[in-house]
Amino acid sequence: MTTIIKFIFCFFIISNSVLADTNNKAAYELYKELRCLVCQNQSLLESNAPLALDLKKVVMDKIELGQSKNEIKKFLVDRYGEFILLKPKYSIQNILLWLGPILFLLIGFFVTFVFLRKQSMYKEEPLPLTNEEENSLKKILDNNVS
Amino acid sequence: MKNKLKYFYSYTPLIVFLILVLFFARQLILKEDPSELPSVLIDEKFPSIILSELVGYKVFSNKNLINANGPSLVNIWSSWCVPCKVEHEYLMSMSNNYNIIIYGINYKDNKEDALKVLDLNGNPFYAIGADQDGMQSINLGVYGVPETFIIDRDGNIRYRHVGPILEYDMEKIILPIINKIKQERL
Repeated sequence: MTTIIKFIFCFFIISNSVLADTNNKAAYELYKELRCLVCQNQSLLESNAPLALDLKKVVMDKIELGQSKNEIKKFLVDRYGEFILLKPKYSIQNILLWLGPILFLLIGFFVTFVFLRKQSMYKEEPLPLTNEEENSLKKILDNNVS
Repeated sequence: MKNKLKYFYSYTPLIVFLILVLFFARQLILKEDPSELPSVLIDEKFPSIILSELVGYKVFSNKNLINANGPSLVNIWSSWCVPCKVEHEYLMSMSNNYNIIIYGINYKDNKEDALKVLDLNGNPFYAIGADQDGMQSINLGVYGVPETFIIDRDGNIRYRHVGPILEYDMEKIILPIINKIKQERL
């Protein structure tokens, strides 16, 4: 009987710690994605500002209540604005932000391509020598040899 | 034609430089603080918050803000916050000289310290609620005390001021908005 009780007890401890672990992992991921509004280029994870500690507590409480990451993010965005997300949303407003770098890379490729093509186009083949030039060249070479 | 184009290309660094100058000049001239966040709650209902009592002072709730007689201010302050002491005289002035109703939210403060400050410096607030663990103010999107919200008759947030209200802020920003709200339904 006691072994059964012990077993059940152990099971509870283990399942509890597993639950705590998954909660911690979810919280850790969220802390990394959220901005501390006091020291604005740090994430909540890196920040020890009082507000950051409060926000971490809010996040942890909500995770323990079983809320999803998106629900928690929405809660904070509704109060602090999208600025609180360190990683901007994929939305129409942010399209330039996300595609801008690719756009500039493509512009760069295009410019390089045009530049290189122009350079190779203007690389003119030397004209063949005229008869006159040929003769004078021959003369010079002959003179040197003798 | 080809030469002209080359001529133009040689100016690209200058053009890029001028664009950058314009970009930086804008920030310099406007003197906006880029770390100041716009509130997402502008023109939204004041979020529901539950505040506790500060002994000896009237406490307030969302009910006070809805269907009010006129615009009001909600000021988040604390006894440990130095800029709050700076803006205190302007809060007093708005309360006494302009008859503006100011609600105070005492943010993450020791209640005794808060009471001491009010005794010592005077009380500009019509009613005060305490938010001791700071969780209620998160609903307001508060990220730095002091912050001040202007609320219209219907309990909608019309403006948020981050940082202390100085003379310029009071005369050029807060009072004009309040006057504008006052005239809205006349």
